[in-house]
Amino acid sequence: MTTQTGSTVTRMQTTRAGGQMIADYWDNIFTARERGKHVVWYNGSALNPIFQAAGLEWCHGEAFSARLAAQHLEGPAQLAGAEYGYINELCSYSRTHLGCAVLSNGGGPAPGSETGVVDALDQQELASKLPKPDFFVNAYSGCSTGQQWDEMTYRVFGRSIPIFNVSIPFLWGNRPDSTYMAGQEWDEATDYVVGQLRELVTFIEAQTGRPFDWDALSESMSYIRRASELRLEGMALCERKPTPATYWDWVASIAHINFLPGDQALVDYFASVRDEIQARVDAGVPALENERYRLYFDGIMNWNKLGWLAKRFAEYDAAVIAGRYTHSSFWQEPQLIDPEDPLRGMAQHYLLCPINHSLKTLNYLTLRDCERFEIDGLVFHSTRTCRAFTNPQTMLASTAREHLGIPAMFFEGDVADASFYKDDILESRLVAMLESIDVRRAKAGV
Amino acid sequence: MNAILDRLAEVAADPDRYVVEWKRTHPDRKVAGVLPMNFPEELLHAAGFLPVVIQENNEPDTEGRVILAEFYCGYTRNLADQAAKGRLKIYDAFFLADHCVQLLGAADVMRFKQPHTPIFFGQFIASMSEPSTPARVRGELDHIVAEVERSTGVPLDHGRLAESIRLYNRDRALLRAVFDARREGRVHLSSKAMQNLVKSSMVMDKAEHIALLEQLLSDGIESHDPHARVRLHLSGHFCHAPKQALLELFEDCGAEIVDDDLYHGRRYITTDVREDLEPVAALSQWYFDRNVNVPCPTRVQHNADWDTYLTKAVSESGADGVVILMAKFCEPHMLLYPELRKALEAREIPYLLVETEHAGLPMETLRTRVEALVERISRRAAVAAS
Ligand code: SF4
Ligand code: SF4
Repeated sequence: MTTQTGSTVTRMQTTRAGGQMIADYWDNIFTARERGKHVVWYNGSALNPIFQAAGLEWCHGEAFSARLAAQHLEGPAQLAGAEYGYINELCSYSRTHLGCAVLSNGGGPAPGSETGVVDALDQQELASKLPKPDFFVNAYSGCSTGQQWDEMTYRVFGRSIPIFNVSIPFLWGNRPDSTYMAGQEWDEATDYVVGQLRELVTFIEAQTGRPFDWDALSESMSYIRRASELRLEGMALCERKPTPATYWDWVASIAHINFLPGDQALVDYFASVRDEIQARVDAGVPALENERYRLYFDGIMNWNKLGWLAKRFAEYDAAVIAGRYTHSSFWQEPQLIDPEDPLRGMAQHYLLCPINHSLKTLNYLTLRDCERFEIDGLVFHSTRTCRAFTNPQTMLASTAREHLGIPAMFFEGDVADASFYKDDILESRLVAMLESIDVRRAKAGV
Repeated sequence: MNAILDRLAEVAADPDRYVVEWKRTHPDRKVAGVLPMNFPEELLHAAGFLPVVIQENNEPDTEGRVILAEFYCGYTRNLADQAAKGRLKIYDAFFLADHCVQLLGAADVMRFKQPHTPIFFGQFIASMSEPSTPARVRGELDHIVAEVERSTGVPLDHGRLAESIRLYNRDRALLRAVFDARREGRVHLSSKAMQNLVKSSMVMDKAEHIALLEQLLSDGIESHDPHARVRLHLSGHFCHAPKQALLELFEDCGAEIVDDDLYHGRRYITTDVREDLEPVAALSQWYFDRNVNVPCPTRVQHNADWDTYLTKAVSESGADGVVILMAKFCEPHMLLYPELRKALEAREIPYLLVETEHAGLPMETLRTRVEALVERISRRAAVAAS
């Protein structure tokens, strides 16, 4: 019988400190208006290097929803969204962000009104702190909801704020030559997105009244490329047994790679992450005291349950090592980035979003990472309001079982709505999966 | 007339049987399964396929239930179930143009379960207002043409495509004639019969469908006194047909449906393909025209919106209220719902939101809610009259 030995996760110092960089970033956003900056709201792909080069302040909608959820402050925004009419089965990122839009635009419950959320009005103040945008840019890969969501934000603001959409074609794989990062479909999609990025730059120039600084874009992309290489070096160190860092550490660094400015500070951050992992390897310090199982995590993050999840898995000596959200996204193919001519590599990363592939490629990526990290089992976060991430999960589980003989477990949760959790189910399914790993090992005489 | 309506109802009730029978009588021809809502079927017709919009079936979801999570719309889960049970093997190829994340999830299941049947996704970009979109849509159409040619082994005959376009336009025009007559109060067909007209059109050979419609119209559609207390507009319900039991319930509660913007209704038939353009270019234009005629929240277009369309349609038909039929978990519909609500409330148009699922609709609860709507509207009319 699988027992709890109560391993604890040794959290990385660097990622702990990295939290401050994110807090500073948001504080900076909140004061953008006072500093006379243009503010862009955007969703989906990491367009921030373009915004950085254009001298804008950028606010990623999903990231703000994630931050509110991680701090358990999502209630008032979701309440404002519900009052406006959004049904609770709708993507909770979008509901939260649209709720923020309602609040930023002066809507939402009036002071003194009964909201049912403890400290609602203080929290509401935070949700409404987002400065109103000067314009919107949407570049959502994979999920149709992403583009529709920003169109609704545009409408919440009374269609008075300009919006630009970059459409990222879904990599369906119509042709036999369509494989990961190859084939005619990939080339054509790349050209199409590059063309739209050029049009986006023209749009931004019109909004700001300034010529775009292409040198600044090259510079920031060279920092991002280096930061990404360092991040991948750190990830490679986790192939070791026991792993020196876990998936949860990589989750803690998502915001940095996803939307912090491309600059020396970003490179320094990922150099420290890599160095700390290397130091652990050198000193023989594992991430978990007693790693007995190595797991892969598939699904979008469940921001309001992160710490709880990390603890839960550790209690059973299960090291979650890699995942689709961390390892198949966020400038994960730095060799594609040519700082001298950055748009192509940027477009390609937008296409490589892990929800922008059909099953064929996702099977490839999942099997690749399971083999690489010697994974014993897969954990699927069946995300109630995010169909994009949930789409292929049962089929990925059968492919992994068929090709690698490894078991999987599913648990229901959500990106930003804690009400969709069923904690006891997670626990019982985890135990069942770990037991099946034990049985498999016993049979193999391991 | 009844014989014709019965025939159309029979096809609508069991599209698979029609397809199997068609294949038996056309052994050298192929059937293409089309996923909703924007794929131009004319192209497939011109290449010799029987294009069939794949319908939700009436079987309980069993095998497919575990493939897509329970929080998917009824249509996509049922598609997954049909794929898992091998029901889609009657099709020789699948085509789709719509990027709905749930639909693509179902399409992935279809490819997983039926790996040897080609499934071609020619993505029509959903952002209609961007300057780069028309060229991209045209490019996708060229890819679809190439795929069709690969599948049939012969180049697409553009003359035949023009003929197919004319045929489809004719079918749409005949259907619109019935819908317009209903809106103007000249015919009173049940909403079930209206649905059968459109659903059968999505399945049947077009020439055969046209012949039946022409006969129906020349015989004249019997008009009965509706005895309805209120007139309603049915709105929404993308990709699949609302259950007929639900349509009957509206009528049982004293409502007459006078107009709709359902996919299995006006949305499917509103827009003709222009006959004055080169035919592939015309299909591309049709995609853009459709979203202006009946805007759809699966598309993003800054200068066309469904809420404006809806309130205008209601004032044209004189409907007393609106029933918004939403396939539960349909994200584009959930996203646009507050805007619909706002527009209806601003004009004091009574409305009711009904969420539908593949199975297990709570009919008695729904009856109470529909009765309450009918009552509310009737009382309002009485007050206005006094
Ligand atoms: S459903 Fe998921 S992928 Fe789609 S917009 Fe919401 S969070 Fe993003
Ligand atoms: S009904 Fe809605 S969610 Fe379902 S496939 Fe159609 S558009 Fe997508």
